[in-house]
Amino acid sequence: MKITAIHFRKLSAVTEMKMRTLMSKNFIIMPIFSLGFTFLMKILYRSIADGKINMDGYALSLGVLMNISMSVYCTAAALAEEKEKNTLRTLMTSSVNGLEFFLGSIIPVIILSTAVNVLCVFIVQLTLSGSQWGAYLIITTVCTFIASVVGMIFGIYAKTQVSASTITTPALIIFMMVPMLSGFSSILEKISNLLFTGIALNAISAISAGKAPIHLSGIIVLSVEAFLSAALFLILYRKNGFEK
Amino acid sequence: MKQQYISIRHLSKKFNKDFVLKDINAVLNSNEILGFLGPSGAGKTTTIKILTGQLKPTSGNAEILGIECDKINERIYEQIGIVTDSSGVYERMNLYDNLKYFARILNVPSENIDLLLKRIGLYEHRKKMAGKLSKGQRQRLILARAILHRPKVLFLDEPTNGLDPSASNEIHKLLMELKNEGMAIFLTTHNMEEAAKLCDNVALLNDGVIVEYGSPQAICLKHNQIKKYRVRLTDGTTHLLLQNEKTTGQIAQWMNSGQLETIHSCEPTLETVFLDTTGRNLQ
Repeated sequence: MKITAIHFRKLSAVTEMKMRTLMSKNFIIMPIFSLGFTFLMKILYRSIADGKINMDGYALSLGVLMNISMSVYCTAAALAEEKEKNTLRTLMTSSVNGLEFFLGSIIPVIILSTAVNVLCVFIVQLTLSGSQWGAYLIITTVCTFIASVVGMIFGIYAKTQVSASTITTPALIIFMMVPMLSGFSSILEKISNLLFTGIALNAISAISAGKAPIHLSGIIVLSVEAFLSAALFLILYRKNGFEK
Repeated sequence: MKQQYISIRHLSKKFNKDFVLKDINAVLNSNEILGFLGPSGAGKTTTIKILTGQLKPTSGNAEILGIECDKINERIYEQIGIVTDSSGVYERMNLYDNLKYFARILNVPSENIDLLLKRIGLYEHRKKMAGKLSKGQRQRLILARAILHRPKVLFLDEPTNGLDPSASNEIHKLLMELKNEGMAIFLTTHNMEEAAKLCDNVALLNDGVIVEYGSPQAICLKHNQIKKYRVRLTDGTTHLLLQNEKTTGQIAQWMNSGQLETIHSCEPTLETVFLDTTGRNLQ
């Protein structure tokens, strides 16, 4: 992607269109599913804990984990849909540049994902202080950014929404299951500590327990993964454009 | 005063080891329609893709609005419109919103949308979902999107392919209006009647090579060497006769005996020229 000027007019048009796509029936099920999953986890863990320990934070972290992971699919499938319906080429030959399309694609996903992450806190009825809200929003937003860029990378290779679903599934399993099962295996725990979803899970558990949300290692992992995903996307985009 | 909008010089394109375009040359000016005529696989769409910056040429060059086609940027895209078989519409949005989206991108006042919808005969359908349009309506919507910003150059790749004659005629009428307003139109088609009707110049393309280039009339005249008459007699028989003294006598005889019903001279068409030149049909 060349460093080109961003026209706010075009960026806002693409962003609005992508938001419309995310609100369509093919996509809106994902955030609803994340909210429902969070609610289910809250009920389940309250039932298991039976009032002896507070597991609301863990229920929240699982819901947010699912929501962040779904951002990979949503971004990839939205890009694949543009290819499937032949609107991507139309758009790219209508003076929208790569950077405008890229930002217009990930901004709505981040906005929607952040909204769901906020709602999840209210669903589990967790009370957060101002600084905890700040840390929660920053960490989940950075993780959603990484997930969206990873989704754009998958989107380059997905020609249809079905293929987007197929090729993102293994990644979704890794991003979700490794952190969820990290408590059962030290190897999985080590891997989880290297995944942005694992960092998010740990951070949310820490926030809900009133501890420091993230350590230096976590900050480094998120920074490196944000940089690497963006760099990898850039390399693949330069080689293939948005269509492999 | 016509301005040169496109110039193609010695353009070639190779995919793997196969040339799909070989040393082609052409020019398109304002107020003109240039037709690239040829069967499927002749290189028509590849030419459009190169001219619109979607493919890079292997050799030679082409300029569009003074910019080399491999250096096309978004400013050029603001001055061209493209209709190809891979042009899509947002099916979950109605016609008006589809055009409004591109109007925002291309900085076109939204008041122009209704005027355009009226012009292309889709105003009464403006609230219809794009996914529910007929093929002809969909094609007109794609065309409307391409001319929304009044581009200097319009690329049309088989714009009437699969449309009924009435829908095709509507599009032809619109293209002639656009041409008369100063637009330069680059049209690819395998429909020789369409090319003869619309184009100021045509390039007959076969296997990536331009086998004939010029106005349709000039090309047909050039190939009008074997002059023939088609004669239909009252008994229903039809005769194809060479134009010479012998057949003139025969025709006079039929006329005198009242047997002659119709007589036509047989000029070549673009299709017959293409067939004579390449040994291939256009379809």
